[in-house]
Amino acid sequence: MIPGIADPIRFILDFAVLFAVYSILSISLNLEYGYTGIPNFGKVLFFAGGAFVVGSLTARLAMPLAGISFNPEKFCTENVKLTYMVSQFFAANPHIAIALFLLLILLAVGVSALLGYLASYPAIRLREDYLGITLLAAGELVRIIARNYEPIVCGTLGISVPNPFAWLSGRTQDLMYIAVMFTAAIGIWIYTERLSRSPYGRMLRALRDNELAAEALGKCGVSIRMQTLVLGSAMAGLAGALYAYYTGAVYADDYVPIRTFLVWVMVIIGGAGNNSGAALGALIYVFMDRMIGQYKYYVPVPFDINYLSYIILGVVLIVMLMYRPGGILPEKPSKTIDFEKIAARFRKNLSARKA
Amino acid sequence: MIRPDMLVDAVIFSNLLALMSIGLALTYMTLKVPNFAHGDFVALGAYASYSLFALAGLNAYLGLPLAFLVSGGVALLLYVAVFKPLNKRGASIVAMMIASIALEVILRSAMHIYADIMTTATPPDIFFRGFIVPEPFALQLGSIRLSGLLIGSSLLVAGLVLGLHFALSKTRFGVAMRAAIENPSLASTLGVNVSLVYAVSWFLAGGLAGIAGALLPIKLPCSPETGWDFLLRIFAASILGGFESIYGAVLGGYIIGFAEVLGAYLLAQPPLCLSTAYRPAIPFIILIATLLIAPRGLTSVNWREVAQRLGIRSSLRVRRESL
Repeated sequence: MIPGIADPIRFILDFAVLFAVYSILSISLNLEYGYTGIPNFGKVLFFAGGAFVVGSLTARLAMPLAGISFNPEKFCTENVKLTYMVSQFFAANPHIAIALFLLLILLAVGVSALLGYLASYPAIRLREDYLGITLLAAGELVRIIARNYEPIVCGTLGISVPNPFAWLSGRTQDLMYIAVMFTAAIGIWIYTERLSRSPYGRMLRALRDNELAAEALGKCGVSIRMQTLVLGSAMAGLAGALYAYYTGAVYADDYVPIRTFLVWVMVIIGGAGNNSGAALGALIYVFMDRMIGQYKYYVPVPFDINYLSYIILGVVLIVMLMYRPGGILPEKPSKTIDFEKIAARFRKNLSARKA
Repeated sequence: MIRPDMLVDAVIFSNLLALMSIGLALTYMTLKVPNFAHGDFVALGAYASYSLFALAGLNAYLGLPLAFLVSGGVALLLYVAVFKPLNKRGASIVAMMIASIALEVILRSAMHIYADIMTTATPPDIFFRGFIVPEPFALQLGSIRLSGLLIGSSLLVAGLVLGLHFALSKTRFGVAMRAAIENPSLASTLGVNVSLVYAVSWFLAGGLAGIAGALLPIKLPCSPETGWDFLLRIFAASILGGFESIYGAVLGGYIIGFAEVLGAYLLAQPPLCLSTAYRPAIPFIILIATLLIAPRGLTSVNWREVAQRLGIRSSLRVRRESL
């Protein structure tokens, strides 16, 4: 076993869940940047959108169903206790727990998609730099509002999220989490992969490579970029909702812009325009992050070692951009029908016409 | 009611913002890429001059040249080591923006590490996060006390705008600079050393941000996150001013500065009674409004046409005829 790990199963579980969440994020950014060329510097906004929906609504929706009475004025100071009561209610009523879980995931996806539309609306028609700045600023603003406006996620206090799988015990519950996370991540992966191979995916790449030519062929750049951003934001919302359920708490200050940077690192290092690359980038990052989390107290340095890891990631990112802009797994040419097949069909047609 | 000391605050804040936005405009003009690391040049300047103040006990204004050199040097290094090679390799705008975000993270993390190390290495009464510097001097005119920073920063911005105007329009180097910005390939065929011109631009941009940063701790507590906190304001000011104009940058800096200082006060009053924590929302709202109404900034608006559309045309014509 790896030395220094007290609970190896917990470690693997954390690793797997974080990998699933981050690969949803990196694949969604790959759809936006890798295939369409949109500089989404506000990824954390849509991630936070999903998490905030789950954090703010799960307990509030479940309490009337569970018949728990509470004072709305004191909701924030008592939310840990109330959330615990809701979890116990979930343990007794699995069907309500599952229904609420699915409903809130859907709601989180919807809210993030809407945020994607709103945040990009002012700048979607302008050059990429304006869009990037606007998205970045919007992400920071939403965090500031969430931190100071208590009714959303209880401001700086943070809010607890009831456990939707409280009706399962011990390891079964952990397995359930892994199953749900990986179903979501693999679903997103298959969807994006199919999308990128469809005519729509080829259109996205055409728009990225030469917007003028794509528009001359009747494709509207603005609306396609908007659709892609809304889609990518919805995926990020799903990731945020799952992350909030797994961690069991939502703090506004957890959703800082450095998360956006990390997702960019994954996509650029793994390979923009290639979903396997994006997933590989997520794997590399999560591995590094877990290792640092595990061993940082063994390394005696007079500063927080996370800063050093950010510096290394930044340097690696720049070196990749300079010397290997395609990433570890570069983009492949889009899949078309095998040439032999086309030739065979052509020959068959030709011989049929002769006869 | 708006008191005179709030106006003084607003002018100082606007001057500092103008200094930062002029720098951003200088770098944006060269490669047409917004530099997300610009805010960190400010924080670097603050740290450079504060270190001199805290460790050697020097007057805060004596740190200005050091701040100028440190921030300018780092900006120059970033241009030579990162942006110039990327530009040469034909990297897209988005790729260069990502690189600048990576540089932002690197610089900010490096300052965090510096702050951590210095906090443990120095006596506990010297702070390296959330530090402030006392006002070095003030003018006493009868019963009115005039802040030295007010006078100093105003003179600095005024002198800088005049100096840049003179340099860009009257000197050989300034004309070469404008040519290199307008059309780099044509300028280089005519013998202008484009990469030297761009390097000077970046050095100046970093230096100005460094000076703004060195003056900042006199007004606000600074930390490694200061650069990031200021980035949004600088972008809002630059986009409002038109991104590629030095005068626009000053104008934008003034509008954002006044809107933020006075706006935060007005929002905290009844009937809204909002917390001042929402202050960063003000530049954001101005940014969004600019992008929706005049995305290329105030300096690119054709004011005569706007006046015509609003129906002010008739009165203008009347005045001209009467003249």
